[in-house]
Amino acid sequence: MQAIYRVAAATFHEAWRRRFLNAILVFAVLIIGSSWSLAYLQPGAELKLLIDIGLGSIRFFGMLIAIFLGVRLISDEIEKRTIHTILTKPVTRAQFLLGKFFGSLATVFSNLALMGIAFYAVFAFKAPGFMNKQPTDQSAGPAFSTEFIYANIAKAIGLTFVEMMVVTALAIMASTLFSWIMAVVFTFFIYFAGQAADFFKTLGNPQRGTGMFSQVVFNTVYGILPHFEVFDMREAILKGTYVGWDVLAQHVGLGVVYTVLILLVGYLAFMNREV
Amino acid sequence: MEEGTIFGLVGPNGSGKTTTLKLLLGLIYPTAGSGTVFGYHLGNPEYKRRIGFLPEGPYFYDHLNAVELLSFYGGLFGLGGAALAARSEELLRMVGMWNRREIRVRNYSRGMLQRIGLAQALINDPDLVFLDEPTAGLDPTAQMEMRSLMQLLRSQGKTVFLCSHLLKDMEPICDSVAILSRGMVRRHGRICDLLMSDAGRYRMRVTGCQNLPLQSLKDQSLDLRIEGEEITMLFADQRAALAAAGQIADGGGSIIELGAQTRSLEDVFIEAVASGGNE
Repeated sequence: MQAIYRVAAATFHEAWRRRFLNAILVFAVLIIGSSWSLAYLQPGAELKLLIDIGLGSIRFFGMLIAIFLGVRLISDEIEKRTIHTILTKPVTRAQFLLGKFFGSLATVFSNLALMGIAFYAVFAFKAPGFMNKQPTDQSAGPAFSTEFIYANIAKAIGLTFVEMMVVTALAIMASTLFSWIMAVVFTFFIYFAGQAADFFKTLGNPQRGTGMFSQVVFNTVYGILPHFEVFDMREAILKGTYVGWDVLAQHVGLGVVYTVLILLVGYLAFMNREV
Repeated sequence: MEEGTIFGLVGPNGSGKTTTLKLLLGLIYPTAGSGTVFGYHLGNPEYKRRIGFLPEGPYFYDHLNAVELLSFYGGLFGLGGAALAARSEELLRMVGMWNRREIRVRNYSRGMLQRIGLAQALINDPDLVFLDEPTAGLDPTAQMEMRSLMQLLRSQGKTVFLCSHLLKDMEPICDSVAILSRGMVRRHGRICDLLMSDAGRYRMRVTGCQNLPLQSLKDQSLDLRIEGEEITMLFADQRAALAAAGQIADGGGSIIELGAQTRSLEDVFIEAVASGGNE
């Protein structure tokens, strides 16, 4: 545990010194901070736009931070040979990989937390005014109440964190397999393909006249890809749908399973990699 | 390798030094066979508690200063608190970095990197220290200091495994060496034995050889080489050398140099590598 903690702490501290990641965070906070002004672009739907832009930014910039942090973690250590002085200490490769993962996760979490705080600040400042503009007729739109929205936003940010946990694991796994540029391409590809996982399911549907071979291929791709779309709660919030704790727990559980499986693949690749 | 000695692993580029070192350190795995050190299989975490490693041209997390760096590496051994602070201070003083302990690694010179690299290799007070090219790229003063540090480690009872191709650096400090070529150990043993293997031989250089009985000299000597107007000969003993010297003097030749043959590690190395190349 000590070794994992030490590697994680070093990863966390080093990550916060990376200017590129800091720049993404600053940009994200600026976008979130100015989201209220963009909300005026759609009169009558300011609140929706505010939530959409705020949560969308947290998710998008969180994804950028998770990917650009994770993809260089292992390959950089091998390239710069800093790994030699660590793995010759009583640190196993599994401990090293877990240390890197938890250090990255802590970094991603703190970045998401800062973005979340920025969003909450904007929301608390602007939402009451926007809420007055919401239609009073419940059939014409979602039921908005302050408590309801605050709770849903917290759940949405929580799920975004779970999603970024999977993305971080994916980026680290890619880092054990490829050079960092290839790892970026791979992680982005899997992430966006995972967002559209349902599309592959549709393609593999026999009712669409898909051949047997194509059905197997599309359904396999659907089964393998992490279903990132389940972590996106924006639509539920915008529709005013209540997301229960049981549903939330299912999604968190799915995220944990994805993370463990992805890290396991990364570990198997790293175990056999010459350093 | 004997405990408490400095052992040198030498070999030309591509001979397998780094591979051997990485295998011993558990950084790569053998495709066949196995190895044990201190009774532990290579790569065993317990074995790693008893070793230290200074890589060639070491890289470290460059945002840390010397104290933070040693704290990080000490933490990997579960060290902490006052014991780690005391050990760090002791090592930083030993490698001459105590007064520069606040400087970040990114601002280090090559010599400073080697010094802090040695300090991190010793943080766990290891019994066996692996040093890969510890003097490469250092100025003469720093090289001398690094050699002194290695001798200090030996005097403290530690075993030093030195991997280098700088033979002149190794010869004065190594107790024993192994010469590696094409993945095989060609010569190994105590350095004094390897250098003494030509003991008793004599070497002579002469000029003015036009009228000398070359065939007779060739028969008397172990080796005869002609370079321009100069002939270099190697004799089995002093008597053979003196007999040849008389013939040379009678034939009008001039003796430039006559003396006992001495060998350097470089001579042994070249011979060993050449013998490996012929196989």
